[in-house]
Amino acid sequence: MSILELRDVEVEYLRRDGAVLRAVAGASLRVEAGEIVGLVGETGCGKSSLARAMVGLVATSRGEVRFESQPVHPLGRRARPARETRLQMVFQNPYGSLNPRRRIGDQIADALVNSGDRSRSPRRQRVMELLFRVGLSPDTADRHPHQLSGGQRQRVAIARALAADPSVIVLDEPLSALDASVQAQVANLLVELARDLGMAMVLISHDLAIVRHVAHRTAVMYLGLIVETAPTDQLWEAPLHPYTRALIDAIPHPDGSGQLPEALAGEIPDPANPPPGCRFHPRCPLAFDRCRIEAPPLMEVANGRDVACWLHIPSTPSVPIGQTTPVESVA
Amino acid sequence: MKPLLEVADLRISLPGPHGMVPIVDGVDFEVHGGQIFGLAGESGCGKTITALSLLGLLPAQARTSGRAEFGGRNLLTLKSAELRHVRGRQVAMVFQDPTSSLHPMLSIEHQLTEHPRVHLHMDQKQARRRALDLLEQVRIPDPETALHAYPHQFSGGMRQRIQIAMALACEPSLLIADEPTTALDVTVQAGILRLINGLRQTAGLAVILITHDLGVLSALADTVTVMYAGRVVEAGSTAHVLQRSRHPYTRGLLDSLPHPEKPDQPLVPIRGTPPSPAERPPGCVFHTRCMYAVENCRREVPPLIELSPGRVAACPVDPFATELVA
Repeated sequence: MSILELRDVEVEYLRRDGAVLRAVAGASLRVEAGEIVGLVGETGCGKSSLARAMVGLVATSRGEVRFESQPVHPLGRRARPARETRLQMVFQNPYGSLNPRRRIGDQIADALVNSGDRSRSPRRQRVMELLFRVGLSPDTADRHPHQLSGGQRQRVAIARALAADPSVIVLDEPLSALDASVQAQVANLLVELARDLGMAMVLISHDLAIVRHVAHRTAVMYLGLIVETAPTDQLWEAPLHPYTRALIDAIPHPDGSGQLPEALAGEIPDPANPPPGCRFHPRCPLAFDRCRIEAPPLMEVANGRDVACWLHIPSTPSVPIGQTTPVESVA
Repeated sequence: MKPLLEVADLRISLPGPHGMVPIVDGVDFEVHGGQIFGLAGESGCGKTITALSLLGLLPAQARTSGRAEFGGRNLLTLKSAELRHVRGRQVAMVFQDPTSSLHPMLSIEHQLTEHPRVHLHMDQKQARRRALDLLEQVRIPDPETALHAYPHQFSGGMRQRIQIAMALACEPSLLIADEPTTALDVTVQAGILRLINGLRQTAGLAVILITHDLGVLSALADTVTVMYAGRVVEAGSTAHVLQRSRHPYTRGLLDSLPHPEKPDQPLVPIRGTPPSPAERPPGCVFHTRCMYAVENCRREVPPLIELSPGRVAACPVDPFATELVA
């Protein structure tokens, strides 16, 4: 049983001009206990909206999010059910999510109180344990956020999420505000935490290269849809979706070879007015007639490999994932 | 050949709460015509301030010394009228975020024709033709329509192309690009990198490419200077600096990046964080984070040692020496 499960999730916003913007247009994803899933995609692909839907920060307009087999409640006026505190989120900019006027130790203690601290040890000691867990020195507890570096603040944000003893943490671009040397420190910390605490993580990032190092499985999003999911190493070695291929080829490598990365033609279309058929077809170098008319469903084409591309879906009409296994259905 | 721009012993300090704080602490580099010169380093290392000083864009309280020779003149001592002539005409700059450097309320036509009108004394008709050429040069689809549009109607990548077009309006010989692709998606970034490379090839443009992204440098730059905490730690041809790094900081940066060919190799971060300008350690600025530091590193500022012409590194310890021989 997956610990976090998204089925056909749609997230819609009403734009100021009255148009309905479907930021997430039917995404399905499963996260197993202790697994790190990378969710990659470019600006406007809906990855942050999907992340917010995962933890109930935005309501889904269709589909369902289930955490530990129970539906996740969108955040409302009432306190969230206690069991949902085990589903935590870490944001990109820790400076925006930490209170600038409270000491780090107090903020972590708040998180302990809010999540109904179940441990018997004195609270101060729990705070110290959490700081140690994320590699911060005990004297950090008496500091204010502005006295810390970006990397340290991100560690505090992670410590605060850990205070709730989560089984899943959703991290929205937790590394992108950090310098390379510090980014590696935090990336390694995430891997360590998942391994030592058996915690599942969803790592949302635009940086494929770092996701490759951290995630067990990677899902690629394009214009509101998940177009490919695969074990990370397989995704890199043999990407199936042309968009995944383009993303990988566009990464410049610091090898001193002077090689220019490949550019992808065209622009991401307006999500309020997506192209018909496969949403990637106007930019796809391999598109053919069917792609322009009919949207390919996300289907399992090999063990653990799902792709939404007519090139890889056998021409004989086969059954989309949603109809074979009731857990995962596809738009 | 004489370099297009020669920067020597550049020092910049800015006022802090307890007196002047040295931000850039003796930087030297050369930029040659038609070449892309990369200036690398993490946030706060002084790379942007270095570029701003070349255009006289530092805050009034900043104190600058050293030389930045461009076309027989020292850019650091020019009067504001002379600087205005250099800016836009001979040296142009492209910033990280095109949203904040394009005027949101003025049409693209207005913004693109301003430079040619002011600097090249073109009339509106000539300037408009020039603007169309420029948009074509940076591959904006349908330039005629684009002229009537406003910045918000374009994507981030297109806005960056328009900003580059503006910078190219008066055919400068030197373009300073400060993190030109950092705010862009990777597939869009690839397009901009190809555009900059094309301009270097067809227009013979020299570029100072400022970035923290060693991958971007590797793709574009001919030569690279790596800065750390206001000082140059290593410089040379891009292939040499990235493939045979001599300074532990450069090596550390590379090791902390995901390696395309070795995905199973763990990321090796550099311990600690870069010091703030007011709290730079004595001796080698990197010694507090360096695994190879010896006693002397804590006391003496290491000089830049010339390894071969144009190739320098500021590390007398040279921990990778044996590795290089092998």
